Amino acid sequence: MQANAILEVRDVTKRFGGVTAVNRCSLALAQGKIYGLIGPNGSGKTTLFNCITGLERRDAGEVRFKGARIDGLKPYQVARRGIGRTFQIIRVFPELTALENLLVVTGGPFEAARRRAEELLRFVTLDRLGNEYAGNLSYGQQKLLEFIRVLMADPELILLDEPAAGVNRTLLNELLAAITRLRDQGKTILIVEHDMKVVMGLCETVFVLDYGEKIAEGPPGLIQTDERVIEAYFGR
Amino acid sequence: MKRAFIAALGVLLVALALYPITATGYGIRFMLQLFMWVALAQSWNLISGLTGYVSFGHVAFFGTGAYATGILVATHGWHWMPASLMGGVAGAILALIIGYPCLRLKGPYFAISMLGLNEVMRVLVSYFEGLTGGGSGLSLPALHASVPIYYATGLAAVAVTATAFLIITSRFGLRLMTIREDEVAAEAMGIDTARYKLYAFLLSAFVPGVVGGLQARDQGYIEPMAVFPLLTTITMIVMALFGGKGTVWGPALGAVTLFVFQELVWARFLYLHQVLFGAIIIVVVLLMPRGILGILQQRYQLPRTI
Repeated sequence: MQANAILEVRDVTKRFGGVTAVNRCSLALAQGKIYGLIGPNGSGKTTLFNCITGLERRDAGEVRFKGARIDGLKPYQVARRGIGRTFQIIRVFPELTALENLLVVTGGPFEAARRRAEELLRFVTLDRLGNEYAGNLSYGQQKLLEFIRVLMADPELILLDEPAAGVNRTLLNELLAAITRLRDQGKTILIVEHDMKVVMGLCETVFVLDYGEKIAEGPPGLIQTDERVIEAYFGR
Repeated sequence: MKRAFIAALGVLLVALALYPITATGYGIRFMLQLFMWVALAQSWNLISGLTGYVSFGHVAFFGTGAYATGILVATHGWHWMPASLMGGVAGAILALIIGYPCLRLKGPYFAISMLGLNEVMRVLVSYFEGLTGGGSGLSLPALHASVPIYYATGLAAVAVTATAFLIITSRFGLRLMTIREDEVAAEAMGIDTARYKLYAFLLSAFVPGVVGGLQARDQGYIEPMAVFPLLTTITMIVMALFGGKGTVWGPALGAVTLFVFQELVWARFLYLHQVLFGAIIIVVVLLMPRGILGILQQRYQLPRTI
């Protein structure tokens, strides 16, 4: 375990009935880097996200953020500690406008929040749609809105659950550039993604899950040649 | 447009304030009931229209307020004004006690728990005869105060509408709406949803308690069946839905429209009016779940402050 890890997951286990969704999983993230979390469908990636953010209570193990235990905290408390996340299935607030979707995020005086919200809308070229209901935006636009909504609270650690899914090439490149910029600002980012091009191009370290267990960890180039990883994806 | 609306609103309030000078007894009673429905529909909207937690037992706060006020007036000799305020406090206290566990329930389970609350309150009130008079009811000392109660109920309706406006135009209100839209996402954005729901619930329970107290004073006699009727809850829900839940003026519009309609039909057709009321419920739920203002708001991109 790295002593300076911003996020440290140690031996986390989560069971649903007889299914062990996450099994003694450990990982450590250093500040200012982009990490990937990959694995076949049902390998426990989203459940691990949920255990980190408090949406699911882990059955065993511990989660530390900046050295302090955060397992057992409620989701809103985890968020206020400085961890932001997006969801695999879009979860914008459809009957709130794009601007309002950003304004509801906690923290700071209203006027400052408004300025930041407008700035973020410009950042992803949604500024002309600020007063449109979020539910009326296109899929890709909602995805971007969800992404900048996470940035509203200025979190130190950002968990992105399949940010590239359903986003067209042009928007995707902007999104990837945005993620890299965030890294350059010192943010730590953990991405669940199925698009291998995205993972390989962006991430410095990749964790691979299979049946809830971490089977590999390392730079993308090495991961691709790892026998257990190949086996998990393609079978023996 | 906005200025004209504010001017019209001012004229309306002045007219309503001057109305008792020329009004008949029936007129006062009619308007008093109208104010009551506006206040109840608006109160329901604060929790259910904004957070989406449908309270199916909101009349429990009305009944609790009626009994708290009734007991203070009849047994302890309080003046009805502070007594009905205490009715509101009683409603809010009940909301605090019941909201803490029940607001953890989702969707239909919350609705049913609130329905249960109302039945429990009615049984409790019947059971504690020494305090409440039980099933034979509680009589308040005779007092003819319809005009002051007209003003007090009107004030309650105005106050809750103003509160709705302040909430809906604030970040607090937007956060309440995120609970309706997607509670999990709201939590992940750092919103303490449990606390927000409880605040909205307390606010939405206070005014029904006050109005219940004012009704108790105006009627002069209360009994369990009369102050905890399920029909009252259903009526306030239908009014809020008809006008447009989650908007500032929707519940008021629904209350005025349906109450006037009910009075007109009721006066002519004693039985038919229930059939018509039932038909309205079906039409609203099936064809216009957003209500009149909700549809206009969606179609013309109007703010929620309509």
